[in-house]
Amino acid sequence: MSKVLLAALPVPLRLLLAIVLLVVVCLLALSTGSVPISMSGLFGLAPLDEMQSTVLWQLRFPRLLLALLAGSGLALCGALLQNASRNPLADPYLFGIVSGAALGATIATIVVPEWQLFTPLFAFFGALLAVFLVLIIGASSRWQRLESLLLCGVAVSFMLSAITTTLLYLSEPFAANRVMFWLMGSLSQASLTHVALISPLVFITLLLGLLYRRQLDALVLSDESARSLGVNVQPLRLIILLLCAAVSAAIVACCGGIAFVGLMIPHLVRSLFGLSSVALLLGSVWLGAVFLAGVDTLSRSVLPDQELPIGVVTSAIGSLFFLSMLFKYRRG
Amino acid sequence: MGQTPVVEFLQVQLRINQQQILTGLNFAIEQGQFVALLGPNGAGKTSLLRLLQKEYQPSFGQIKLQGQPISGFTQSELAAKVALVSQLSGPLFDLTVADVVLMGLIPHKALWQTNTEQDLLQLKQSLELVGLAHKELHSFAHLSGGEQQRVLLARAVMQKPLLLLLDEPTNHLDLYYQHQVLRIAKALNITVIASIHDLNLASRYCDRLLLLNQGQLVADGTAEQVLKQELLTEVFRIPCLIDQNPFGHCPRVSFGYKDDL
Repeated sequence: MSKVLLAALPVPLRLLLAIVLLVVVCLLALSTGSVPISMSGLFGLAPLDEMQSTVLWQLRFPRLLLALLAGSGLALCGALLQNASRNPLADPYLFGIVSGAALGATIATIVVPEWQLFTPLFAFFGALLAVFLVLIIGASSRWQRLESLLLCGVAVSFMLSAITTTLLYLSEPFAANRVMFWLMGSLSQASLTHVALISPLVFITLLLGLLYRRQLDALVLSDESARSLGVNVQPLRLIILLLCAAVSAAIVACCGGIAFVGLMIPHLVRSLFGLSSVALLLGSVWLGAVFLAGVDTLSRSVLPDQELPIGVVTSAIGSLFFLSMLFKYRRG
Repeated sequence: MGQTPVVEFLQVQLRINQQQILTGLNFAIEQGQFVALLGPNGAGKTSLLRLLQKEYQPSFGQIKLQGQPISGFTQSELAAKVALVSQLSGPLFDLTVADVVLMGLIPHKALWQTNTEQDLLQLKQSLELVGLAHKELHSFAHLSGGEQQRVLLARAVMQKPLLLLLDEPTNHLDLYYQHQVLRIAKALNITVIASIHDLNLASRYCDRLLLLNQGQLVADGTAEQVLKQELLTEVFRIPCLIDQNPFGHCPRVSFGYKDDL
């Protein structure tokens, strides 16, 4: 029904609605928190005190940018991977990316604590190691077959998780707690450096996704059908996988584990906007950004003087979303 | 000098995993012919079509497309000349009919090129040709099997191919759509190679029949030349009778055992 209603609206009006929602979420994110900032202050109509100015420009602004980028990136990767693998449950974390990042973070925190400042870097390389392992193992078992690749992802994920759990078990509790907290996801460490690291990756992935929009549509039908249209199926799938791995690894390294965004947002976009790759990719980028910025605002304002890990909130919303989908399908 | 054949098979053999799939195929298909590939399961019909899409490479011999070795074509160059309509399992993610038909532009468009007015006009014409102009914005997944096949035919038209391959295009379709899909394909007036199980449909619509058995070409000619009682009984391992189809004035095959009479 919602799709019909949205489809009935002219395109400019739909775009206007999308922009208005994005602006509203951004304004809420910038104004809400332990140091409230009024709308007039945000628009420069009222003066900000030093504390407000510091909070706005050094904390909330980079944090909002990171939330928008991480949400866009995760949703974009989810959309690309679901289309490329024709698997509605594919998401950026399916290929062991989170387990790899967790292992990297664990090593930085527990094994070489003197390198603890470089936890994001360790997490990034851990995530890339996971994808590398998936590809290597997958290559020896005909990685061209999607099912093999997905099974490899699950296997690598369990293998790396087992190593991480062993390291955590053998470590001192305080260090283990730090890793666990990091894994729950948080944007509290956001900086413009993070934004500068993630933004080119998200931008390049979106650009390539839009350039290959017709090929991505063709993949949705079948490999044979896509090949008959001149699509080089396996190289395209490999490029998508590598790009998504890089984007997700960078996001996980900067923000920890934020689950369900890549899985849930593309489903929502398909039901709201339509199904061709252009609508799916642009819709996912927009809704992913709005969703994560909104959830981050919620997670740092729902409890007084305390912040909920953002990954916990996205997981809770994601599970409710999929339960609602299940009941919807049951009702038929 | 005659025209260069659209397709030439020159002593083509295909082996996959030590198993001989096709042996000594030697034939040429002329411009505009509607050719049926016939034969029992495992005869090599689909493998032959896959050779024409470069999914398989011949183990011996050569395949030519318009006089050029097919091995020299890139995937994209091949797609600009050869279109395929095959059976689809229901897509997991839905697309509109227009999205599917516009895929036919892939071999002809650079990545950054957008759809022009001309492309959209061609989209309408392709859909009109298959009688689905009114379903342009409908969901592809929610169409009937026959309608989906017609959409894929429209996509093939959009692809502007020299050669159209139909891989069992009438499977799972009811009688009405079986005839309709083949009528539309014939009306396109391009070279068509169709793998078909129903001999009577092949007899009714195809100019030329290639009968395969155990990877070998055992008969090649018009329906009258190929649909012979003795040959079909041997190839399909079931007795048959041949008479005249009153509609198309072409041979009609009925299979069955004598005790059925």
